[in-house]
Amino acid sequence: MAYVATRGGERAIEQSERLYRAELGQIDAARIQALREALPMLIDRVMGEASLYEPDLAALALAQAGGDLYEAVLLLRAWRTTQPRLAVAAPVLQEQLFTHRRISAAFKNIPGGQILGPSLDYSHRLLATGVLQGRPFEPAPVEPAADPAPARQPSLAAWQKAQGLVADPPRAEVAPDDIPDLTREPLLFPAARAHTLQSLARADTGGMLALGYSAMRGYGNTHPTVNELRLAEAEVRVRHPRGTEFSAGRVKVSQAEVISKGKSGLLELGFCATLGWNEVKVISGATLDLNAPGAAKGSPVEEEFFLYHTEPVEASGFCIHFKLPHYVTFQSSLDALRGAKAAAVPAPEPEEVTA
Amino acid sequence: MTIATLTKPWEAFSYGFLDASAKRELRRRMLKAIAVPGCQMPYASREVPMARGWGTGGLQVTLTLLKPSSVVKVIDQGADDSVNAASIRSFLSKVSGAAETWDTLAATLIQSRHRIPEERLRADQVLVLQVPNPEPLRPVEPNMSVARQMHADADYGRLWLILYEQIVRSGRIMQGASYPALVNGRHVMTPSPIPRWDLPKLHMAQHLTFLSAGREKRLYAVPPFTRVDPLVFSDVPYKVEDHAALTCHRSGVTGYFMNEIPQGSGGSVFELSDSHLGIKVIRRAKGEDVALGATWYENGKMPQ
Repeated sequence: MAYVATRGGERAIEQSERLYRAELGQIDAARIQALREALPMLIDRVMGEASLYEPDLAALALAQAGGDLYEAVLLLRAWRTTQPRLAVAAPVLQEQLFTHRRISAAFKNIPGGQILGPSLDYSHRLLATGVLQGRPFEPAPVEPAADPAPARQPSLAAWQKAQGLVADPPRAEVAPDDIPDLTREPLLFPAARAHTLQSLARADTGGMLALGYSAMRGYGNTHPTVNELRLAEAEVRVRHPRGTEFSAGRVKVSQAEVISKGKSGLLELGFCATLGWNEVKVISGATLDLNAPGAAKGSPVEEEFFLYHTEPVEASGFCIHFKLPHYVTFQSSLDALRGAKAAAVPAPEPEEVTA
Repeated sequence: MTIATLTKPWEAFSYGFLDASAKRELRRRMLKAIAVPGCQMPYASREVPMARGWGTGGLQVTLTLLKPSSVVKVIDQGADDSVNAASIRSFLSKVSGAAETWDTLAATLIQSRHRIPEERLRADQVLVLQVPNPEPLRPVEPNMSVARQMHADADYGRLWLILYEQIVRSGRIMQGASYPALVNGRHVMTPSPIPRWDLPKLHMAQHLTFLSAGREKRLYAVPPFTRVDPLVFSDVPYKVEDHAALTCHRSGVTGYFMNEIPQGSGGSVFELSDSHLGIKVIRRAKGEDVALGATWYENGKMPQ
């Protein structure tokens, strides 16, 4: 018998993958379509964390991963990174967004009005068990408002800036190709503002919630108030090589601004935006952003801490890597342990005390 | 001339998977890493079709170095048939057309996790080590920006202190694998979690070694003929694992790093960790014409 009888490892990994995929069965265009229609919030979450807006590819990634979110995000990221960067879209201002939902907790009413839009916030969380007994759940039709809200809404922060409540730093004019791009450069600290916002935009929703929640509960420096939460569609405007600017379509975006009374005597804003509609993520992200300035090194609201630890591909990958064999390193530690044990001077026998 | 003659047919991905912009960035960082031995170079670290922590840093460096004439060997814990090594090796050959080998002597490019082969590497070979944590200062300073500043200042006092404290507490240095080493007299690096047995192989070696951490986005290098000195006190010599006298129960070889296999009857048997060296020894004993290379260790000792 040879030292290694067959290429056991290669056969094993192939069969292991087959076993996983056998459970998922055939993936066809109909499944992708069904996923897109049934699970738009999940598709949005995956697109945001992958930083790739393509609902069909996101649905395909979810189908291929059998719904394992971290696997789906990795599939999309690995695809995305091989694609050329063709153009940089024009910056999108808040008041240009095609707004579906826009609320503020800071004021009873705000210029432009509170627009609830689509939300489960006030629904009673009751399972529609009738579906399982053969009675399909048919949602009640929406009754259009007599006086529809305008699609474009002003920014509340702009009003606050005009009132002198929020600092209004001049906008930095950066050429499109000079905008730091996290996917092409390493994240270093103190991070470029663009890197921070990009990193928050593609952070892990659950991870950001955990750290954001710790800040909200009291491990942060400041208590957030939701200044403005917006679900919208943004026009992606790019320039044709011949110079014409045109819209390449719309992408769903969410953004949150949280606010708190700062030490400077002004209100301070925390901001987070992401692709797709994901309210928990942007509120948590904005809370972390609000708490970050001046945070102690090593605290969960310090920028380096939360940006490193909410990176979904890195965090999940490192977590599952512990399944790999580590017997060489273990052997090395064992050697040190045995060496120390052998060298240790035995403790003197306690003297017997005779009464 | 038509546009068709100027373009290539569409392909799902570039040669060697990474696109040209990613390779260009990596090559620049790799050259810089060679120029400043042991100094960690940040890089963008693209996502690859494997999970982070599974060799994505080593993979990116290897993909950048691969060409169709390359002969690639991949090992994990010293073994070529380990599942993740097999997975990486088949990916590498699939995307590059490079030949696969298990034989250290035949390889031009060796990607490894946690081991350096026992046979001496030559000047025409490149070793790529997968690195989980590139920061030797992590145990004393988890914050990366602060650690970066400490490297700039060559501020390694706290590393010496933990080694000293280990001697005080346990009578010896307790560091297992990943033993910190001073490279070229300037930067302290972690050699990745290779056993202490393997660290002297990097000192004044003929081959070039890249160490790359994909998740942490850092790569560094030990160029050929570069000093790699483990951090030790002048009166406490460096100690490799006590494996010199162990014998492989399969190949009968003595004097190399071994895997310990616990036995149900109590006690342990040992087998060569460098699995293909073991295969070659067994095949040679059966009368096959197998070439064994010179090894770093001779009779369980590393010649000075």
